[in-house]
Amino acid sequence: MASSSSSSLDRVSWRALVLSRHLQQPTDSSFQSLESSVCLQYSPPEGNLEFDVREMRKLNDGHNFEDRDWLFGLLIQSNLFCPRNSGGKIFVSADYNQSMEQQREITMKRIRFLLDRGVFKGWVTDRSPEGELRKLALLDVLGIFDHSLAIKIGVHFFLWGGAIQFFGTKRHHEKWLKDTEGYLVTGCFAMTELGHGSNVRGIETITTYDSNTGEFVINTPSESAQKYWIGGAANHATHTIVFSQLNINGRNQGVHAFIAQIRDLDGNICPNIRIADCGHKIGLNGVDNGRIWFDNVRIPRENLLNSVADVSPDGQYLSSIKDPDQRFAAFMAPLTSGRVTLSTSAIYTSKIGLAIAIRYSLSRRAFSVSGSGPEVLLLDYPSHQRRLIPLLAKTYAMGFAGNYLKKIYVTRTPKTSKTLHIVSSAFKSTFSWHNMRTLQECREACGGQGLKTENRVGNLKGEFDVQTTFEGDNNVLMQQVSKTLLAEYISAQKRKRPFQGFGLEHMNDPSPVIPAQLSSSVLRSTKFQMDIFCLRERDLLKRFAADVSQREAQEGKAYAFLLSYQLAEDLARAYTERTVLQAFFESETCLSEGPHKNVLGLLRSMYAMICLEEDASFLRYGYLSIENAATVRKEVMKLCSELRPHALSLVGTSNWSSMSRYYGALWYTSWVPAGVLQFRLRVTVGYEDGKWVLAPKVLPADRKAGVIYDMGVQISDIAKEGCSHCDKGQWK
Amino acid sequence: MASGNSTNDRGNEVLVKENLNVRTLILNRPRQLNALSFQMVSQLLELFLAYEKDSTVSLLIMKGEGRAFCAGGDVATLVRDVAKGHWRLGAKFFWTEFILNYVIATYTKPQVSILNGIVMGGGAGVSIHGRFRVATENSVFAMPETSLGLFPDVGASYFLSRLPGFFGEYVGLTGARLDGAEMLACGLATHFVPAMRLPLLEDALSKVNTSDPAVVSAIIDEFSQEPALKDKSAYHRLDIIDWCFSRRSVEEILSALEGEAAKGTDDWISTTIQSLKKASPTSLKNSLRLFREGRLQGVGRCLIQEYRVCCHVLRKEISKDFFEGCRAILLDKDRNPKWEPSQLELISDNMVERYFSKVDDEEWEDLKFPARSNLPVHAMAKL
Repeated sequence: MASSSSSSLDRVSWRALVLSRHLQQPTDSSFQSLESSVCLQYSPPEGNLEFDVREMRKLNDGHNFEDRDWLFGLLIQSNLFCPRNSGGKIFVSADYNQSMEQQREITMKRIRFLLDRGVFKGWVTDRSPEGELRKLALLDVLGIFDHSLAIKIGVHFFLWGGAIQFFGTKRHHEKWLKDTEGYLVTGCFAMTELGHGSNVRGIETITTYDSNTGEFVINTPSESAQKYWIGGAANHATHTIVFSQLNINGRNQGVHAFIAQIRDLDGNICPNIRIADCGHKIGLNGVDNGRIWFDNVRIPRENLLNSVADVSPDGQYLSSIKDPDQRFAAFMAPLTSGRVTLSTSAIYTSKIGLAIAIRYSLSRRAFSVSGSGPEVLLLDYPSHQRRLIPLLAKTYAMGFAGNYLKKIYVTRTPKTSKTLHIVSSAFKSTFSWHNMRTLQECREACGGQGLKTENRVGNLKGEFDVQTTFEGDNNVLMQQVSKTLLAEYISAQKRKRPFQGFGLEHMNDPSPVIPAQLSSSVLRSTKFQMDIFCLRERDLLKRFAADVSQREAQEGKAYAFLLSYQLAEDLARAYTERTVLQAFFESETCLSEGPHKNVLGLLRSMYAMICLEEDASFLRYGYLSIENAATVRKEVMKLCSELRPHALSLVGTSNWSSMSRYYGALWYTSWVPAGVLQFRLRVTVGYEDGKWVLAPKVLPADRKAGVIYDMGVQISDIAKEGCSHCDKGQWK
Repeated sequence: MASGNSTNDRGNEVLVKENLNVRTLILNRPRQLNALSFQMVSQLLELFLAYEKDSTVSLLIMKGEGRAFCAGGDVATLVRDVAKGHWRLGAKFFWTEFILNYVIATYTKPQVSILNGIVMGGGAGVSIHGRFRVATENSVFAMPETSLGLFPDVGASYFLSRLPGFFGEYVGLTGARLDGAEMLACGLATHFVPAMRLPLLEDALSKVNTSDPAVVSAIIDEFSQEPALKDKSAYHRLDIIDWCFSRRSVEEILSALEGEAAKGTDDWISTTIQSLKKASPTSLKNSLRLFREGRLQGVGRCLIQEYRVCCHVLRKEISKDFFEGCRAILLDKDRNPKWEPSQLELISDNMVERYFSKVDDEEWEDLKFPARSNLPVHAMAKL
């Protein structure tokens, strides 16, 4: 009893000591509190980069640079976008710690702000290619700030507005487009149902026509027919596009789109409409996804979007396209915009992740190679280069490919719609997968710092994950790519005509021959790279066609394609990577000789090499010998070290850095007094215990920047919680 | 922008007062309102670089002789030089001046600028980038370059674009004058000290023997006041300034202002519109683009870009507005410049883009800064 009370007295006085030390600030000015570690010092290289980052930024962004800068500036200068000053730079990023309700409200407030500043001018009324490019550029910027903001705006302008533009006719344009641009109506897009997502043609919502009143009657016949994931439906939308089967005189005419009002101007839900909230999500909580049921909702006959088919006042179905399959395809073709914007937003997000991880790897050191030597910068480890630099090269390649996709999107004609469909499907899937993989690698490459919300990468993973499944499930879209290529192949064979379109023209030439011995210079030549990508594509297409036809004979037509899924996957990948490489090559060709072209050449070769290394097809089907595959692997390593010096500049263009962190966890001294410096460190565990350790060696007065000085501090003890009764505060 | 003939006492255009650990630099061309000559910017650059290495120096004070702090670069001399010889003479002035601005912006020791009078153009360049800027009731700040056919340079695309909201666009495009209270409110000044207390402040500062900004700041705080903004201050109109000056283009800014003017009579709005209409259209477009790019870049990139535009201006390939502006305002003083192109609508994006491209001349190079190794983060941004 006695000993216990004495020990508790000890404990009290020890705690008092700990607390008083904690409160006491060192006043002796010869002690610098430890803020700095020489090995973490970092000087932002300004002005003296290997190449002109302004030019590189232009190549990356491709178009509307001034519009982008203007919008970035608009975000930075408004408190609505949570500006945070760090090291003299303003960083804006949405606050994901807000509740779902708060995120939804602030997203809508941001939209109102942007509307007032004229950001959306011409978004649905200007259909020129220039107008479309401007819109795409501004949406890129908004997506860099926050995915929810971009998606919420995308739903209103691209889906609701786009449906009216493309499925509607003059009467709809006149009535709705101007109001849409001014947000006098807020639109949503009710396509997906609980039971049917990617398979739009299977939706169950049903619409009939009442010729007595001249109205359509929309109904949700079952629970699986409820509209699901409808962005904007839960809180803000006043109107929706409804996708529904149209039943006229007992005959089903397939899927059609209608306009229905779901809320009045005061925000009250309209009669016969039921709405529920989809709830909290792993990301994108600024978008109010909802569920909608239609209980025999009546809408005027004019609300049918009648670009391909109409119903006369007396109830006759009229359509210029007789075949329902073709009618559906014509109907859906204009809706590629979603996949176009998702493709580019995936790339911009990968850029954010890589800019953060690469900057961190250039400021953080770990372990020294020789015992007493300086610790090594993360990016100077070949293995760390191998983790990040190939992803950087892929991101560059996909960035150029994204610009190519935008170009074919804004100049689309009915003739190019099939190409646009498969390129956008292939890119949306591949880029969104690439983005998720890149973000995960970047998060790990930042070590513990990657875990902080402030680092952004972790949040981005949640925010962008949805891209792999919305606007068409990635796997389904990739199968569609192969299916389309197969149809083209069969048609060319049947009619004995040359291949035309989809970039398959190379199939008309004799099969390329790959040299038996691959040297570094051959590996880096555009000819070799294009040859081997084309070889893979043509061979896989032939194999796929043969496989499907063989299975057709055995299993029947319907099942054959499904069973060939492995080759379908390989082929879609081959098609995508060849298209990306070609886009990269074409962007590179327009450049004049100089440092940009050199570094882009390295990146292009890296892209080609990493595809060769990662896709097992090259070995599986023998496009590369085992020996050559090993040569390729060596080349990847060589390219990593050649690209290493450019790493910072490559993520240093303003479109890479303007919304990302400057520093990881860097300590730096704000004010370094002249003369000899002595350091002391406070080593703590838990909250308030700790011990001051005095560095035995001093930092000399004639110290040089960038040189590492050993302060001679060695901590050999294991830190313990200070409240343990056996801890007397005596450290070894 | 002061005009004037060169003085005889070239050697004394910058006076230095030494005081233990403090150096006071006095801009000493009072008859030209301390306009910066090439000689002065070169001398200042040398001094700044030397004091950075000199461990006995811990604090710099900068002030002006007479009633101005500094009215800008000595543009009249510059224009005469360029007229006589090659545009490179002018480029050399800007090169040295911008390097000085960069060194000040990234300086590791505190600088206190005492802005007791006119602070314009180049005068802002040698003070605003520094750590402490002390305004007084005599301070008059302006970046009036657009009315001269130039553009706010000396790193203004960095510091103006970082003012609250779009106040920087307003100040930079219209050349509006700010008083000491407004400078403090918007952040161009860090302190406001009544002029009569300046001798006491300088006396207190002269005893400083540390580079710790907290210590210096605390000293200035002792003499500081919180001045009230005048009722008519433009700073009260931040809402309307944000509304109009956040627009995408100069044309849209003007039409937003005209929209506001249509709502009722307001002297401030009509004055603002007038200033924009009097300014060189080319200058306005270049300036706005510089602010918009500058907002997203570090001070170094801003100065590099400004230097490019400067060189194109001096080469007169795209427009001669700068020389026309100097003629009308500084030389002939008819105050009636004939801008060419005369309308905003006549200036295409491509024309503006040319100002931002590298100069097509083998001997020309982009602005290059002296190495500033291991810059602490605060050195990059003091505003």
